[in-house]
Amino acid sequence: MKLSRRELLRTGWKVGGAFLGVAAGWTIYESLRPLGGGSETGTIQLDNPTSYAEGTATYVPEGRLYVVNAQGNLFALSQKCPHLGCRVPFCESSGRFECGCHGSIFDIGGEWIDGPAPRGMDRFQLTANDSQLLVDTGKLDPGPDRGAEQFLTPPAGPSCIEEG
Amino acid sequence: MTETGVGSGPPPEDTLEPADAQPANRGLSARIQRSDAWRSVFRHPQLDTPRGRALQSFSNVFLHLYPVKIPRRVLRMRYSFRLGYIAAVLLGILTLTGVALMFFYTPSVGSAYGDMQNLRTSVGFGQLLRNVHRWSAHLMVVVVFLHMVRVFYAGAYKKPREFNWVIGVGLLLLTLAFSFTGYLLPWDQLAYWAVTVGTNLVHYLPVVGGTVQDLLIGGDQIGQATLLRFYVLHVAVLPVAIVVGLAVHIWRVRKDGFAVTRHSVGAFEEEATVVPAAAPVELYDHRTRVLGVVDRESVTAQERAVDDTVFTWPHLLVRHVVVALGVGAVVLALGVTFAAPLRGLANPDLTPEPAKAPWYFAGLQELLSHFHPVVAGILVPVAAAITLVLLPYADRNPDTRARKRKVAIIVFSSLLAVAVVLTVIGTFFRGPGWQFIAPWTHSYVEL
Repeated sequence: MKLSRRELLRTGWKVGGAFLGVAAGWTIYESLRPLGGGSETGTIQLDNPTSYAEGTATYVPEGRLYVVNAQGNLFALSQKCPHLGCRVPFCESSGRFECGCHGSIFDIGGEWIDGPAPRGMDRFQLTANDSQLLVDTGKLDPGPDRGAEQFLTPPAGPSCIEEG
Repeated sequence: MTETGVGSGPPPEDTLEPADAQPANRGLSARIQRSDAWRSVFRHPQLDTPRGRALQSFSNVFLHLYPVKIPRRVLRMRYSFRLGYIAAVLLGILTLTGVALMFFYTPSVGSAYGDMQNLRTSVGFGQLLRNVHRWSAHLMVVVVFLHMVRVFYAGAYKKPREFNWVIGVGLLLLTLAFSFTGYLLPWDQLAYWAVTVGTNLVHYLPVVGGTVQDLLIGGDQIGQATLLRFYVLHVAVLPVAIVVGLAVHIWRVRKDGFAVTRHSVGAFEEEATVVPAAAPVELYDHRTRVLGVVDRESVTAQERAVDDTVFTWPHLLVRHVVVALGVGAVVLALGVTFAAPLRGLANPDLTPEPAKAPWYFAGLQELLSHFHPVVAGILVPVAAAITLVLLPYADRNPDTRARKRKVAIIVFSSLLAVAVVLTVIGTFFRGPGWQFIAPWTHSYVEL
């Protein structure tokens, strides 16, 4: 195919313009994307595993998370609702997590029970070290899919949301 | 060397005007208006003649934003309800009050909330300034949306205005972005959690949702980086984008003749230009514009003979000034009557119940409470945006009369009704736990 000088130049301008556009977009993205250096992540040392009784949820403010004991299994649950990011409080009376924002309900293990949340509460990685628990707030695993009922039990009492 | 000095008489180009059309020869004002210095600014005298008005429009950059003449029917309030113009006026008010607020605001999580309190207590008219800014922002979202709805029902998105409709959709999205970025700036509980919910909605966007959310928030959670980003978007990036978009939008409106020309009847039949039986049809296929000024009794007289047009200045401009004053009075009355809300300092560890997105996203939030996020957060909003953009290209029916567009009007009206109902439910009928509440018993409406 024979390309005239004018067509060649026109194509060159288009390719050059597209290249510049992509380069500009990528540069803006690279400069604005969070690198994680300034975020509040790191390892938090928790109490002895035996200090978390079964069926309890202990709030750890420095990590904005709950340490829960679900039928002998310890989890570090993010307080952030996987639905739209509200803080999910633990309802002592029902023994469940109940999001007052939009009504999502999770069991003691953070598994989805009801409401608009697409999955269970996200979990930080938890490790044991010399009889102490360590939670890495930089490593967050998505919560269990809907339908997981490993720790589902009937509510211990009235719901906090329904009480208003 | 000047041809005419102060008080030496009008320049040669005005000699075609009748003597009584010239500024009076007596008085200081007339002498100033005839001076070279005055003429260097205002190149033509203010003459109440057709030619004088045309000359003023040609030589004045602001008047030149308008066409010299417009169809008479454009003057009617119900023709467009002036919604596009009202939106532009609100943008002007928002710019003025926004610039004034910038003198008293620092985009820092340590001081932003205090600055809001200072506006209330230590800045003269500070509270009123903030109130007017807030209510104008909400009104602008409403007015731009109504403008879009009006354009649809009038069929004004049809050829040759397809792309201007697309630009209009872009301007609607920019208006929402403007309002949303401004929402965070007070750094109170309402701002923090509305933006938390709003940015988490973004997360459900397909493919790019997570990236866009990261770019918006600038970290793991809403904080200093988010506040600064929203501030820069609000006061620098979005204003430039909306001014450029608006310039193209208005330029196209002006070039397309300011009004939907129709062969016989319009979407509202009373708007139709009546075609005299004896007139040749081809005269109405092309709108006549004044491209230059020749001797009197020529172009303008011809145009008047074939189309019922009036001079923009003063007929439309006077109406625009009145509407602008009315809009100003309304937002001022709102600002005096209702205080912009300011809740407690933003607290990431205390979520208010319920936490609602800004009202214009409440419909989406309501949808998310019924359907899986893939449906409510991805399919529905993306399909709605694509439908709006493609509407003028998909609807190939050239007729603008309502009775000839039944399918389009029924589909659009149904979708509109669903969106409005969802927004009303999400805004007024939802309480703690997103449960149904009667708004007359307890209101959880946050503006």
